[in-house]
Amino acid sequence: MAAPADDAALPQATVEPARRARLSPVWIVPLVAAVVALGIFAERVLSEGPAVTIVFQSAEGIEAGKTFVKYKDVNIGQVTAVRLTEDFGRVEVTARIAKSAAGLMVEDAKFWVVRPRISLSGVSGLSTLLSGDYIGFDAGASTKRQKTFTGLEVPPIIDGGPGRRFVLHAPDLGSLGIGSPVYFRRLPVGQVVAIDLAADGKSVAITVFVNAPYDRYVTAGTRFWNASGFDVSLTANGIDVRTQSLVALLEGGLAFETPAFAPAAVPAAANAPFRLFADRASALKPDDTIATRYVLYFAESLRGLSVGAPVTFFGVGVGEVVAIGLTLDERTLNARPRVEIVVYPQRMISALPAAQEKLADTMVGNRELRHAIMRRMVADRGLRAQLMTGSLITGQLYVALGYFPDAKPVRFDPGADPPELPVVPSPFPALEAKLSSIVAKLDRVPLDAIGAELKLALATLDQTLKDVGRMAVSVETQAVPALRSALDDAKGALAATERVMGSAENNLVGASAPGQIELRHALQELARAARALRVLADYLERHPESLLRGKTPEAAPK
Amino acid sequence: MTAQAGSAAACGLVACGDCALVSRPASAAAAGHCPRCGAALAWRQPRSLQRTWALLVAAAVLYVPANVLPVLVTDTLVSSQSDTIMSGVVLLYTTGSWPLALIVLVASVMIPLGKLAALAYVLVTVQRGSAANARERTRLTRTVEFIGRWSMLDVFVDTFVVALVQLSPLMSVAPGPGVVWFMAVVVLTMLAARSFDPRLIWDAAAAREDRDGRPR
Repeated sequence: MAAPADDAALPQATVEPARRARLSPVWIVPLVAAVVALGIFAERVLSEGPAVTIVFQSAEGIEAGKTFVKYKDVNIGQVTAVRLTEDFGRVEVTARIAKSAAGLMVEDAKFWVVRPRISLSGVSGLSTLLSGDYIGFDAGASTKRQKTFTGLEVPPIIDGGPGRRFVLHAPDLGSLGIGSPVYFRRLPVGQVVAIDLAADGKSVAITVFVNAPYDRYVTAGTRFWNASGFDVSLTANGIDVRTQSLVALLEGGLAFETPAFAPAAVPAAANAPFRLFADRASALKPDDTIATRYVLYFAESLRGLSVGAPVTFFGVGVGEVVAIGLTLDERTLNARPRVEIVVYPQRMISALPAAQEKLADTMVGNRELRHAIMRRMVADRGLRAQLMTGSLITGQLYVALGYFPDAKPVRFDPGADPPELPVVPSPFPALEAKLSSIVAKLDRVPLDAIGAELKLALATLDQTLKDVGRMAVSVETQAVPALRSALDDAKGALAATERVMGSAENNLVGASAPGQIELRHALQELARAARALRVLADYLERHPESLLRGKTPEAAPK
Repeated sequence: MTAQAGSAAACGLVACGDCALVSRPASAAAAGHCPRCGAALAWRQPRSLQRTWALLVAAAVLYVPANVLPVLVTDTLVSSQSDTIMSGVVLLYTTGSWPLALIVLVASVMIPLGKLAALAYVLVTVQRGSAANARERTRLTRTVEFIGRWSMLDVFVDTFVVALVQLSPLMSVAPGPGVVWFMAVVVLTMLAARSFDPRLIWDAAAAREDRDGRPR
């Protein structure tokens, strides 16, 4: 700097020795900026989780940047790229997984695409209707990290909380599906989570999940049955309609119950296998460990008798029909209907009072004793089998065992296999026989003689009619005038009626009739209401946000 | 006017930066205070180049997070979307409103970058003692300073959108972290432009002329 030009009175500034240029403190600003930027960068890098590749059959519903990966409904990642595999056969989805979920990307982790599912028993994945599909995830048990996964095409079984799974084996699926409810005393307690065909293709394995705490009611003795839809059975007992609930009716479902006779209630182990019964009745039937077969040879038609038809003993169900066929007598070459039945002695026991049960138990346990009892009953008391009609409408037959002391004595041979049980004709063919005897009697009526007599009677009748004709003429001349005056009176009465009717018409249907007016008012009210509704609909269409924010005054219609 | 005409400093005088009164400095080392308005006097803004450089570098560093981090986070009922400045521009362009896209691109990307580049250019030329285009460079610094106050367009838009779009359960918009860094970039560039003393351009030009011994 140069000194001032002319003013010598000013003091002279001293010259400091040149110092090294000091670094301005302003350099703190870029330093802080750099630290901040580096911090952001480091945070980004450190919080970045791994990128995993999932291979799917198709990318339906998956969009890069929009589709999330969710585990227990928590976003754990986002799809960053979707492209075809190198052989163009499948789709490779790359997803960036959050750092916090990086530990979940292990060997046996599962990925699948979640799409909305709406069923009668519930709605799942409803949010996907708006947000699009997402990739579901389920953690695995392994600890080996992995980067490439194969996506599942079918959602895996996800246990929705505590509870246990059980596997039911059934000959077919019926109307069940994944998600079908499982009922316990009509309470929905679980659902079908998986359906598999057995390896041999001969049965279906249905995996059900029963929520805690209801899972403890599934014991080793528990019976599951198909409560799907209408279960209509046409049996000798009549028409039997069973259903669990409206949902089960429409969608199918399962039910379980532990029958009273089941052994001690020990909760079943998880994944324990069970048999799925076709219906409640067969499920809750006691185990028939002891069964005795008998054969019956009838002399009448078996139409209406089906396999499974009940065998009753004084009306108590003790067995069922297991086979229906024919038999050919080798000597006489005569074919007869053959019915094989099975009698379960335990069912008889269960019908006995408790005091006698033990006694009966020892009896049925012994086969010899059983046959001895049977022989006694057949020989001494006249035990016979008989075909009975269960229902006149359906014509279903069943086999009834009963005592017929008058029946021809028959020897019971317990040695035969199966032993033959004597039969008596059913009461219906007997009725038929009676009817035919009536017809035969009718046949014997002398119709010819009756005809001749009838002819004679007709001739007499003719004569009588002529007499009547003559009488009628006389009636016309004498009675008709009187009749005419009566008619005139009736006409007067009719006119009066007409007047009454006229006034009634005014009251009820005339333009000014009170009923009419009220009706018209009601219609006008209705029209006004419809108009108001239309205005509301219009307004809502133009201002849908008003549903949320209310009606704004300036937007209100005039 | 050319650099040859000489400056107040060249005559041993000092001009007040606030009221422009030319006075004699208190001493050769310290210029003292303005006798009229009391402002601190300096022949040139102290350490102008260093301060400008520092602020400029800070702005340039923060320009990266401002553009990488989202400036707007849109939450709808079912999804959440984060937009950076560039992705917003791309979105506007792809949805057909290219004039808007252009405005955002110019106001939020090109102008901040241009300001950084312009200041850096001026600083480099002053340090190298360049005498060329001194007039243009002065105009450039003026322009940068003028334009600074209009650079908050993005921030304004962000603020408006955030304030207006609050349909809470259905849709809500929140500012992203990027907007803070964008603001920091704008503020730092404005400060950098202010701390630069344009007279340095002419000092450098004059020094060059003295050295070269020929007028320009």
